[in-house]
Amino acid sequence: MSFIASFKTRFVFWVWNHTPTCVEMARLTSQTLEKKCSLRMRLKMRLHFVICAWCRRYFKQVNFLHEHAARVEMLPEGMPERVLSFEAKSRMKAEVRKNLATVM
Amino acid sequence: MPEEIAHPTPAAELSDPERWVDDHGDYLFKYALSRLRDPLKAEDVVQETFLAALKGGKNFQGRSAEKSWLVGILKNKIFDHYRKTARETAFTDLEFYKEEESDRFVPDGMFKDAWIHEAGPQEWDSPGASLDNEMFWRTYRDCTNKLPKNIATVFTLREVDGIESKEICAILNISENNLWVMLHRARMALRRCLETNWFGNKEGTK
Repeated sequence: MSFIASFKTRFVFWVWNHTPTCVEMARLTSQTLEKKCSLRMRLKMRLHFVICAWCRRYFKQVNFLHEHAARVEMLPEGMPERVLSFEAKSRMKAEVRKNLATVM
Repeated sequence: MPEEIAHPTPAAELSDPERWVDDHGDYLFKYALSRLRDPLKAEDVVQETFLAALKGGKNFQGRSAEKSWLVGILKNKIFDHYRKTARETAFTDLEFYKEEESDRFVPDGMFKDAWIHEAGPQEWDSPGASLDNEMFWRTYRDCTNKLPKNIATVFTLREVDGIESKEICAILNISENNLWVMLHRARMALRRCLETNWFGNKEGTK
């Protein structure tokens, strides 16, 4: 048991010393959405994930939000509760009418 | 006489382009307002949209096609507005969230810059189900609105509109590195905001 435990600790230390810190991992997580990282960096990230549930969650959650953000537009509730005033609409119609004459 | 009663209803007399104002004006205005955060500017770009649509002069079968056509024109008008703004004032904001949640990372020692376990990202309970919940998107919108204007602009262009970073840099006249920094901080802040106000607080909001 103690052999396994000490192996585990040493593994965690080794990985921690050979992979980016969590602060860097957060930056890299965002960067992978913008450009492809090198294979070397991708492997390092993978390795870090093995020992770090927090970076795993961060990666998963940021990707989740990235993937589904476009849906915010599809709901009318996603918009401010403001509408055009009657005056603004009349103004726009007048402007449209004026320009309609020149187009037609 | 009967023909006269049957035909001249006011709605039918409106030309198509004038009808756009009634049919789509509010939607376009809300859209523009959510992007520009300024009612006067939002009104301006909607007006410009109608005039540009007029020049485009197309006919549409369905209303939905008409609407998405107008939204497409509006988006370009909003981008034009960003371009113009970018020539006058810098879009780059490297001050927001400069600390990058430094309070949530181990400050020193062997594990410096590792997440503090209790303060780091927590497991989200069935995030997929949240996508169908209107309240989730309301929280999302509130969180986006808390971002400073320029950060919200780049975040929305990238995440909601799905525009590639190179193109955003061209529109806003900012460097790719600065864009990445801004996006990273926006994502970090939004994730944290949603964790605090939605995923960590479901009983309160649902």
